[in-house]
Amino acid sequence: MTLFAVALKYLRGRLMASLLTACSVALGVALILSIFLLTHGIRDSFIRGTTDFNLLVGAKGSPTQLVLNVIFRTDVPPPNIPYTVFEQLQDDPRVEVAVPAMLGDAYQGFRYVATTAAYFQPFPWRRKAFSLATGSFPRADSPDQPAYEALLGAEVARRTGLTPGDRFYSGEEMAEYPLTVAGILRPTRGADDRTIFISLASFWEMNEISREMTVKPLTAVLVRPTRLSDVPSLHREFNVGSETQAVIPSSVLLSIFNLLGLVEAVLQVILTIVALVVLLFLFVALYSATLQRRREIATMRALGARRLSILLIILLESWTITLVGGILGLGGGYGLALVGARVIAEGGGVVLHPPVLTPLQPLLLAGAVGLGTLAGLIPAVLAYRTEVSDNLAPLS
Amino acid sequence: MRGWYRKSSWALGVALLTSATFAGAQDVPRLTFAQLVDSIRAELELTQKIKSLSGKEVEIQGFIIPAGLPDLTFFLLSRVSSIGNYCCEAPVGQDETVYVFAARADQVTYDPLRVYTVRGVFEAGLQKDAVYGISLFRIRQARVEEAVGATIMKVGGPSAPASHP
Repeated sequence: MTLFAVALKYLRGRLMASLLTACSVALGVALILSIFLLTHGIRDSFIRGTTDFNLLVGAKGSPTQLVLNVIFRTDVPPPNIPYTVFEQLQDDPRVEVAVPAMLGDAYQGFRYVATTAAYFQPFPWRRKAFSLATGSFPRADSPDQPAYEALLGAEVARRTGLTPGDRFYSGEEMAEYPLTVAGILRPTRGADDRTIFISLASFWEMNEISREMTVKPLTAVLVRPTRLSDVPSLHREFNVGSETQAVIPSSVLLSIFNLLGLVEAVLQVILTIVALVVLLFLFVALYSATLQRRREIATMRALGARRLSILLIILLESWTITLVGGILGLGGGYGLALVGARVIAEGGGVVLHPPVLTPLQPLLLAGAVGLGTLAGLIPAVLAYRTEVSDNLAPLS
Repeated sequence: MRGWYRKSSWALGVALLTSATFAGAQDVPRLTFAQLVDSIRAELELTQKIKSLSGKEVEIQGFIIPAGLPDLTFFLLSRVSSIGNYCCEAPVGQDETVYVFAARADQVTYDPLRVYTVRGVFEAGLQKDAVYGISLFRIRQARVEEAVGATIMKVGGPSAPASHP
């Protein structure tokens, strides 16, 4: 019989205790992995989902609100700016592309974004590519003849079941202005998947306030400068005024990441405590098991088993528990991350795609086994030092 | 006697290694934005002095303007901060910003009001790129770290404030 077979036999002998210990290891590993995948997933999702435009011009207020609302379609829209701001930017020689955007209400929780065809154009500097899964892009319309056509993000189409040609509206106020689905976009793995795009003309006509306005409103203008070195001067120019602010989206996101970093630091402390508790639990389990079977160990020693073999048997038990617990924890952690990602996405926030394999998984498994060795070392040494004469004395 | 020799050779080795390391650090030329501005001639031609630094490792200090992705793999380095103060003129052109391509992402914690030291391979001369557009000064394979107590406002002068209140 090999040492491993002996270790397995011991573990089977106290099956419930061994399973519970492996479960505690699995829970610890799952917790660490899921939190890592979710926090990094949030960061990656912001990076992946951010705009390719370098500047965002909107009304004075919170830069974070402007970025979260216009780019990630969360939070409430900031106040409006006049359409003339867009015209000013469009005529500025420092600006290569300016795209107006107007954010409105929502249909079944999916926001309306009114914009122009430029939003979907494949400029050479864009990472994002928009393509149609079915149908067509909305027709170019004029303010006096709105087309009332909508382009749906992939997630909107999937969740609402709308297809090209379908007509829809949200709330009885909008019954007068039903929108017709013109097309559906392919998934972009970002906030655009959860967006209903319409034309500015349609939006302004549907909204009773903007309908009456002579200078139409906008939420923001997305700007790509001709030269990136013009970002600072454009940024400054639109910030000095009392009505508008210019925001560098990455600057806001980096500030959010800084806050996220603080949360991560707190979580790291909590996870370290969790790892220590699991380590302690494993130690107590192995230590008490070793104490209980000192007589058996002494018998094995009397029958010729070497001290090193006894030490290895205890360590093998520890490795088996941590390996099984670790593997279960990796699977559980990934499952937890998937559930967490779904909850976050349904909450209207960022869309996470936790990776199946990261450098952390093998590290976690190795760490669990390493900590298992540490926890098993004292019980193993205790078993190693078990004296035959002291432990084989008659019980009565 | 043999022990003394061994100790002496160890000490000599450590001393040589240390001096070589410091010498290597000091060899990297420190550029300033004032030097970059001075190097520009008509039609964005550059002086030979600045051109001679192309392909060499340089160091420059400035404020980060995250004009690229929020992982700071690419950013602009500017002589003034992008936010927080309106006391200085904003940089207006190619001569006052350096396009930085970082060796790896997330090297520093971003703070728009802090001065950073960027060290990497310098490139001088007009270049057009599909993603980053036209640039005049670039630093590639850049390593970034916070420059504590840096003076960037005046070339060769006495200590100047790193940023404005």
